[in-house]
Amino acid sequence: MKRNDRQTRTIVLALAALMMLALGLLASGCSASTPKTSASAEAGGAPAKKTRQLTLVAYSIPKKAYSKIIPAFQAYWKRKTGEDVKFTESYGGSGAQARAVIDGLDADVVQLAMEPDVGKIAGAGLVAEDWQARAPQNGVPTTSLIVFGVRRSNPKKIADWADISKPGIGVITPDPKSSGGAQWNLLGSWGSVSFDGKDAQAYAQVEKLYSNALVLDKSARDASNTFLKKGIGDVALLWESDALIAKDEGGEFDIVYPKSTILAETAVSVVDKVVDKNGTRDVAEAFVQYLFTPEAQEEFAKAGLRPVLPEVEAKYADKYPKPSGKLFTVADFGGWKTTGERFFGDTGIYSRIQADVAAKKK
Amino acid sequence: MAEAELTTTLTGGRARRWRPPPDVALAWGITVAVLGLLVVLPLSAVVLTARHAGLGGILRSVSSPIALAALGLSFGGALVSAALNAVMGTVVAWTLVRYEFPGRALVNAVVDLPFALPTAVAGITLSELFSPRGWAGTLGLRFSYTPLGVLLAMTFVSLPFVVRAVQPVLEGVEREVEEAAASLGATPWQTFTRVVLPSLRPAVLTGLALSFARAIGEYGSVVIISGNIPMRTLTAPVLIFERLEQYDTVGATAVATVMLVVSVATLLAVGLLQRWGRHDAA
Amino acid sequence: MRRSLPIRGLLISVTVAWLLLVLALPFAYVFSQAFAGGFAVFRDALAQPEALAAVRLSAIATTVALVANLVFGVAAGWALARTRFPGRSLVLVLLDLPIAVSPVVAGLMFVLLFGRQGWFGPWLEAVGVKVVFALPGILIATTFVTLPFIAREVLTVLEETGTAEEEAALTLGASRTQMFVHIVLPAIRWALFYGVVLTAARALGEFGAVSVVSGNIAGQTQTLPLHIEAAYIDYDVIGAFASAVPLTVMAALTILAQKVVAALSSRERGARVAEVSPTEGAPGWTSV
Repeated sequence: MKRNDRQTRTIVLALAALMMLALGLLASGCSASTPKTSASAEAGGAPAKKTRQLTLVAYSIPKKAYSKIIPAFQAYWKRKTGEDVKFTESYGGSGAQARAVIDGLDADVVQLAMEPDVGKIAGAGLVAEDWQARAPQNGVPTTSLIVFGVRRSNPKKIADWADISKPGIGVITPDPKSSGGAQWNLLGSWGSVSFDGKDAQAYAQVEKLYSNALVLDKSARDASNTFLKKGIGDVALLWESDALIAKDEGGEFDIVYPKSTILAETAVSVVDKVVDKNGTRDVAEAFVQYLFTPEAQEEFAKAGLRPVLPEVEAKYADKYPKPSGKLFTVADFGGWKTTGERFFGDTGIYSRIQADVAAKKK
Repeated sequence: MAEAELTTTLTGGRARRWRPPPDVALAWGITVAVLGLLVVLPLSAVVLTARHAGLGGILRSVSSPIALAALGLSFGGALVSAALNAVMGTVVAWTLVRYEFPGRALVNAVVDLPFALPTAVAGITLSELFSPRGWAGTLGLRFSYTPLGVLLAMTFVSLPFVVRAVQPVLEGVEREVEEAAASLGATPWQTFTRVVLPSLRPAVLTGLALSFARAIGEYGSVVIISGNIPMRTLTAPVLIFERLEQYDTVGATAVATVMLVVSVATLLAVGLLQRWGRHDAA
Repeated sequence: MRRSLPIRGLLISVTVAWLLLVLALPFAYVFSQAFAGGFAVFRDALAQPEALAAVRLSAIATTVALVANLVFGVAAGWALARTRFPGRSLVLVLLDLPIAVSPVVAGLMFVLLFGRQGWFGPWLEAVGVKVVFALPGILIATTFVTLPFIAREVLTVLEETGTAEEEAALTLGASRTQMFVHIVLPAIRWALFYGVVLTAARALGEFGAVSVVSGNIAGQTQTLPLHIEAAYIDYDVIGAFASAVPLTVMAALTILAQKVVAALSSRERGARVAEVSPTEGAPGWTSV
């Protein structure tokens, strides 16, 4: 009996150890099989034929542009260094992508819908604090406007921000809690009245906008799907880039440019901690630089995103009209640092609006 | 677990404290290791993260108007859809067991479909069908982006539970008792409510509880069809996801903890119901 | 009950109408959208490398979840069926939790554990092992959500068959291994098969938990349901519904397999067991 006891205990212990071992092996085996950096090639030190590995994590809209830019960069890098670059790409909502990178998605380069999302990654210590200063154009590779999508021939006669806050208009905008685009939308409406975070008139207009909201989708893409495919709402607040792509795909709607609107600046950066670990800094930085070349800028322009290089901008001036009124930026609000906290912080303006709208709905 | 007093009929050793045979011990080893690593450890990570906020923080985070409304919608919606499934599920099970009709085998087979269909596909499909431009939407059934849409998705994903819980019990019910009741002058309705229903009750309740548990946690289809408007169509799982996106891990885990407590309570209730059913049958 | 003929008609029509509205309509819709552009468009959408990679990843995740659950399911079912102790119902609750826990919470748990900022994050990073946003995370999440199925099926059958045959075998001098192979395994084989079918269906379709831990890298960590969502968001409706077709077909096949198993096992059981107790089967589990 005694012997049996010991046997049993040994078996149980051995088994638990085995389970742990199996799980560990599984984990390491799997991660080894997923291609990461080709460390072996680097260690082998055969400079003639190296394959480099880059992971790009971006928000959803530039996907189409990158399908052209990446092959062009691969050719460029091959000419320059003789190395092949393999890309892995991940696209999704800007906030979700930032969270994934912070939680461990190994991105060498991120392009997100707005500066604060990269800022959060910097806050987690993965990106150097001076990421904007070191990149060309302050780390803004493309811009876009917030525009209105309206039903064919604009039956509700929507022309400007004030119109979509009128009673009886059904508005589609994504949720500022999870979507970068949605935050630009809010600032667009506010800035059309004032840049003062305490302005009561601006508050009233934005609050009415959100009481008109029929759907608060998870991301900008979901919102345009809701408006276009499901036929819900009178007006959708869209990225100009998204609206142009949707038009290309045969979407039946009209685009209205508000008199004055916000210039939404996207943000790109190398993720320092990851590139240093993977030994990919040179190629990652070259890729970021490449995004600001005329070739890449032209691909962005073709895919609906406003270029930032003056020469390319001039070439596409017809496709990207300037609004008749003021084109303002976050800088007019005092920059993201203060704006982010004041408008979207825990006790910020959007939280107050949410509570007010909720109270009214009750 | 090893310290627990184990009783079994398999070995009748002289020792007072029973020692499990090696194979049962091995089985327990695997079970405890997997449940510990895959269920207990991760769940405690959620609860312990929520604890960082302190009890007051959790309460505050859960009692914000939006969180309350989301939890309310999830609970209320899950209850209503479970109740709907209880009624319709019993009807469906009854029809499938008691009536012969052409296509019965097919109808019997499709009941399980929601279980096998990915929730993302269910969400996309339902939201398009019931949008103003969808097949059902043009007939006036415009449920997408309304609380009714949430209800629809919840009902869809939890549909098989009651049917599959009631069916085997109904098959086992002895028809003689019903016939006896009928011959003693009971109307069909009386027979159903006084004779059949009592024997079905534990199974219906089990199915109802499982439907509830499944519906309350549903994410994939609900996030697509609900439109996520706070106070109106935002459910608790979607709120958790949103808070996660906002780097509000503590807020997310606070809501998650509340949902966990409900899940555990529901499952305990299921266990009790099943034991009740067994005693009833015995 | 010949008297209740009108009720019969009513109930049948209610049943059929209900299932038509809630079940048949969505399925018809999936197919109508997938083939909206004709068969060639459908085939091209499925032949995209991203779609193929997603199919492969889903297959891998399902296989791993199946193997892990086979070992665990038999062990847990056997252990729980053959021991009684106070607190056993608590273990049962733990076992059932994965179906009751919201998939989002399930994903969140693993990020809290294995994420860069999670409990084991720093350690994993030091060792150079990636769990979340890589294959292991997807495998773990898939295994988690499918944990109860095989175990539950096995447990139900073992409780139902009782221990008489096992005791007889032991009394007749069989070793425990022989007893297991010749008595237990044959008894649970249908339950195992059925559990495998349920596990496969759930693993193939899992969305919420996997979406939290996946990182959505096209061609690498995108399972089929995630690919469907990505295609849908990308305005590729046909691509989304085309990718949904294999899953829908799998769902249908699953159900077919389930019916066949149910029929076979009930025929077998019918021969062995004369009387069926009312609570036979697994109440609440989707078994028939």
